[in-house]
Amino acid sequence: MTRLNGGLIDRTRPLNFTFNGKAYRGFEGDTLASALLANGVRLMGRSFKYHRPRGVIAAGSEEPNALVELREGARQEPNTRATVAELYEGLSARSQNHVGPLHRDLMAVNDLASPFFAAGFYYKTFMWPKAFWEKLYEPAIRKAAGLGSLSMLPDPDAYDRGFLHCDLLVIGGGAAGLSAALTAGRAGAQVVLADEDFRLGGRLLMESDLLNGAPASDWVETVRAELESLPNVRIMTRTTVFGVYDHGVFGAVERVADHLATPGDKVRQTLWRITAKRAVLAAGATERHIPFADNDRPGIMLAGALRAYANRWAALPVADAGDAVAIFTNGDDGHRTACDLLAKGAKVLGVIDTRADAVAQGDYRVFAGAQVTGSKGRLGLTQIEITQGGHSSWHAVGALGVAGGWNPNLHLTSHHRGRPHWDESLLAFVPGQGGPQGLIAAGAAAGKGGTAEALADGKRAAQAALSDLEIAAPEIMLPDAADTPSAQQAFWHVPGKKRAWVDFQNDVTVKDVKLAHQENMRPVEHLKRWTTLGMATDQGKTSNISALAVMAELTGKTIPETGTTIFRPPYTPVSLSVLGGGDTGQHFRPHRLTPTHDWAKAQGAEFVEVGQWMRAQYFPQPGETHWRQSVDREALAVRSAVGLCDVTTLGKVDVQGADAGEFLNRLYANMMGTLKVGMVRYGLMLREDGHAYDDGTCARLGEDHYVVTTTTANAGLVYRQMEFARQCLWPELDVQLISTTDAWAQIAVAGPKSRELLSRIVDGFDLSNEAFPFMACASLTICNGLRARLFRISFSGELAYEIAVPARYGHALMQRLMEQGADLGVTPYGTETLGVLRIEKGHAAGAELNGQTTAQMLGLGRMVSQKKDGIGAVMSRREGLDADRRRLVGLKSVSPQEQVAAGSHLFTEGAAQTMQTDQGWVTSSCYSPHLQGYIALAYLEDGDKRLGEIVTAANPLEGRELRAEVVSAHFVDPEGGRLRD
Amino acid sequence: MTDLLPVTAMGDSAPRSESFGPLTLSENAGLALASLALRQGQDAPTPFGLTLPDVARAVTSGELGAFWTGRGQWMIEAEGKAESDFAAALKAEAPGCSVTEQTDGFVVFEVVSEAGTAPLEALMSKLVNIDPKTLGPGCCTRTGLEHMTVFLVRRSETRLAVIGMRSLAGSLWHALSQAAHRLEY
Amino acid sequence: MLIPHPLLGLRDAQEFTYLGDASLLNRPDPVAPGAEAAFCDYVFLRDNPAGVHRELWFHEQGDRSWLVVTRNTVTHEILSAELASDVKAGAAQ
Repeated sequence: MTRLNGGLIDRTRPLNFTFNGKAYRGFEGDTLASALLANGVRLMGRSFKYHRPRGVIAAGSEEPNALVELREGARQEPNTRATVAELYEGLSARSQNHVGPLHRDLMAVNDLASPFFAAGFYYKTFMWPKAFWEKLYEPAIRKAAGLGSLSMLPDPDAYDRGFLHCDLLVIGGGAAGLSAALTAGRAGAQVVLADEDFRLGGRLLMESDLLNGAPASDWVETVRAELESLPNVRIMTRTTVFGVYDHGVFGAVERVADHLATPGDKVRQTLWRITAKRAVLAAGATERHIPFADNDRPGIMLAGALRAYANRWAALPVADAGDAVAIFTNGDDGHRTACDLLAKGAKVLGVIDTRADAVAQGDYRVFAGAQVTGSKGRLGLTQIEITQGGHSSWHAVGALGVAGGWNPNLHLTSHHRGRPHWDESLLAFVPGQGGPQGLIAAGAAAGKGGTAEALADGKRAAQAALSDLEIAAPEIMLPDAADTPSAQQAFWHVPGKKRAWVDFQNDVTVKDVKLAHQENMRPVEHLKRWTTLGMATDQGKTSNISALAVMAELTGKTIPETGTTIFRPPYTPVSLSVLGGGDTGQHFRPHRLTPTHDWAKAQGAEFVEVGQWMRAQYFPQPGETHWRQSVDREALAVRSAVGLCDVTTLGKVDVQGADAGEFLNRLYANMMGTLKVGMVRYGLMLREDGHAYDDGTCARLGEDHYVVTTTTANAGLVYRQMEFARQCLWPELDVQLISTTDAWAQIAVAGPKSRELLSRIVDGFDLSNEAFPFMACASLTICNGLRARLFRISFSGELAYEIAVPARYGHALMQRLMEQGADLGVTPYGTETLGVLRIEKGHAAGAELNGQTTAQMLGLGRMVSQKKDGIGAVMSRREGLDADRRRLVGLKSVSPQEQVAAGSHLFTEGAAQTMQTDQGWVTSSCYSPHLQGYIALAYLEDGDKRLGEIVTAANPLEGRELRAEVVSAHFVDPEGGRLRD
Repeated sequence: MTDLLPVTAMGDSAPRSESFGPLTLSENAGLALASLALRQGQDAPTPFGLTLPDVARAVTSGELGAFWTGRGQWMIEAEGKAESDFAAALKAEAPGCSVTEQTDGFVVFEVVSEAGTAPLEALMSKLVNIDPKTLGPGCCTRTGLEHMTVFLVRRSETRLAVIGMRSLAGSLWHALSQAAHRLEY
Repeated sequence: MLIPHPLLGLRDAQEFTYLGDASLLNRPDPVAPGAEAAFCDYVFLRDNPAGVHRELWFHEQGDRSWLVVTRNTVTHEILSAELASDVKAGAAQ
């Protein structure tokens, strides 16, 4: 055990956990990393490429090395950073990326072969033969190089989403963030304060600095309590703001239940979309290391992390409590760590400072003008080599902290391609111009990392934001604090022949950067892609700047000349589960139900999704074992008696206004303004490019009142198009639109006995052919006074009606029609039968109106009025469309029991089957119980002149072809007598 | 009076109602709706004495109410009139206007909080990208909710009507009730 | 993105459907000489500027109004938003 005194852990609440099956104990307030370190565990995983033993590098979300598989079973989660995994009772974690036990990884042989695995190795080696890539190389490489594994089981947890709106979003709850939130909170502004940690305070929790003479955590607690008491402030811990989007929209993930063994009734995570008028980015800074030979052993970590583990978690990353600790630094910050460790009772070997004039700040030895030039220890650090004045010596240490300076966490400021700016005095990139509007960086994220300056800068940033929003900001008293010295030298890496790691997660070394330089991959964007630097899940938070400093040195350019890559969302990895959010399975998307849905369900109907709608597909009866039996029965019943089908799903739009007729004239290819009141007309809409768009019916209910129908699939699109025409093309017309699709339950009553059936429910309405002919419509009452609309229209070719009642009566109407029609053989039918009936009648539907066809092709060329303008009218007459000779025809399979597959292409019998000889295609096909054979609709060159010809329908996908006779598309009642009688 | 029996949008014989902590969701099956749109150049009428509200506002007067839905367009509401021909009654009150029956185009869920505005606003934050602070009593808006389009009418500090397409009643109830349920944990 | 709806104020772009170049407001005269060529331009040719662009957005999950939004396609800054019917009516006067 290497647990120190103090720290922000609750020693009264011990927590048991396992790592690689072995039991350990930590405390509430621990992360998995701090608990393992306190238990003397330094080895936590193997590296990506070389399978080198690795331990913790950092103390926060930037961690590149200590990635573990967390949890068991379906909740197993790979690549979890041990540094941010909150400890809970029963936590179970495993190391990843090794074959055999962690301390004897068989894949470590990769490390011996490392000369072959340098940057660009894969690109150069696996180029040929080309075919080997997919089958051999890639799977083998993926297996060898990789991170954790997936459970392959569905995620059992629920995820949520939500929306927040605020005046000020404060990102980060450290010194700057807290002072910003306090300033804005007291001003009465709506504030959201988000921090990725489970505890507010940021770096204040990890330093020994005093605020007002007391531990900083006291001040943090006071501020937290005040902010919590303000109704206008929302504190969100465990929440990472991962991206900035246009106009002040931010994406954030709240880890609601990641710190629990199982979420129970909670959601696991929530995806928040935060709309903020202004934002303060107080995300702190990330320390960088100094690459030196063999700098990747467990026990070597960032000096600031070493300090954080000691101060906040009372943990020291040494194997044995008596082991000494050393610090390697290029500036004052390393000395701060040494002082804190001494204060915590650690044994400090000394501070190796690259600066010749370095002096001790406490009771420890300083190696001035010295460097660490090597390390030993197979599975964890045991010795370091210190080189000073040309002399090298080995020293026994259990841990080494490396302090290479701090990089502001400016990531979000470059999400809109804002370019970071190099600050030579800070030796760091700071937020530059051109970042997201309204986002103000503050504190260490803006290069102001001293405690006092961060507190003041947070206040300044909030005041600036409030001033923009014209909210008066009160003056707030900040606690007394001091800035520790932060001078440093521009020292980027220790030169040497052995491998010195730059990017731990992707195993990129200084040598690889040099190789990239040799290969002329010098611009940072090339460097990144050639070496894979910064492309792992940590996105190079601890490595990018060091690597480009090495590149700058090699090219003899300055760092700003070398440039930096910029960042894009997400700041830290976001799970796909939470991005998917919301519901899965049945509730994955909303479903629209028809008014007769429950009735159909009770009848045992099978349903099919049609867009958002659930429609009855067919109604199986006892004894029917195949859908075709049901569909054949339903179709024959319509042709011989009467059938019922819920057609509510067709889009319905109410069109009113003095110019409603003129408006519809312009909307449809054919004339609508001349329609008589009480009549219905079939309408075809074109797109402005002249192709057929949608079809439906148009009923004139009054002088200035029409109801038009659209196809189910296009209901939303056609409504949008109608609003476009009304508002953008002809706002001078007096016309008002509103959708009424859901308001009316509409039932098709089709078949020779439909009139008889309807006559039993109408309230004395005259249904005779004379009084209510084909294509008539009327408002009437049925079933003793219920208002209804009746349309005499037919999709099946039979005598047919559609009757509409307020939707709440649809269920009862269906039941009533079934009761009243029992003696007539009334039969409910679904979408399959609807399809069969319309194919038999040659009516176009989606497959015929696929966006590539014209009115002429549909055989409706004469419908396109030449007397008036309308959408698509001009373009429908252009040469290319006008000359198209393909026409809608029917096809009858010569062998009636063989199906002509939809999608088959048509050829003249005996002709070669090539693109040039292609004569059309089959759009829809079905078995016609009426004709007792397979039939189809097709577009065929000069089809209207080829009736009786036998053509070849080729289906090369399935290696089939068959012979079909060209016939009229109207298989049933081509004269239309049944409709009209 | 017809002898056909109506069902609610949820497919039941009686309106659905369920409580989740301080929040109660209730289907309002009795509310009649009819849209009213002005003809070109027409002045706004005052049907049933209602002054048609301004942009994004709603008014109520006794059993009647109106909320803005678009430029020159409103939805007129009448409590307990769902089974009457309310559109015809409105048409008589607003001669010359375009009036369309909408009662069964929609399902109306009333959300009531027994513990002040906070639970209601928390529910909103899980469902709609609308700042609750901008949707105070007397305000209305139309927006997206779980890939559905809904009207929100803030009837009071503690009462919000969520009005969605009738065919989506089941999905809307699921979204509302699940969100309300999750607020309990 | 947030769209400054002329009647409703800032609204999230998720409520809108995008159509594109606002030149679609300028439907050619169908009976003028050369109408077919004019329609070809109208239907098929669009400017796609990197910079300030006038474009059509439909407030589908809102008040169902078509807007003409003037937007910089490089910075995504929105310079103005107007009701398309007003723009069209204004142009006609």
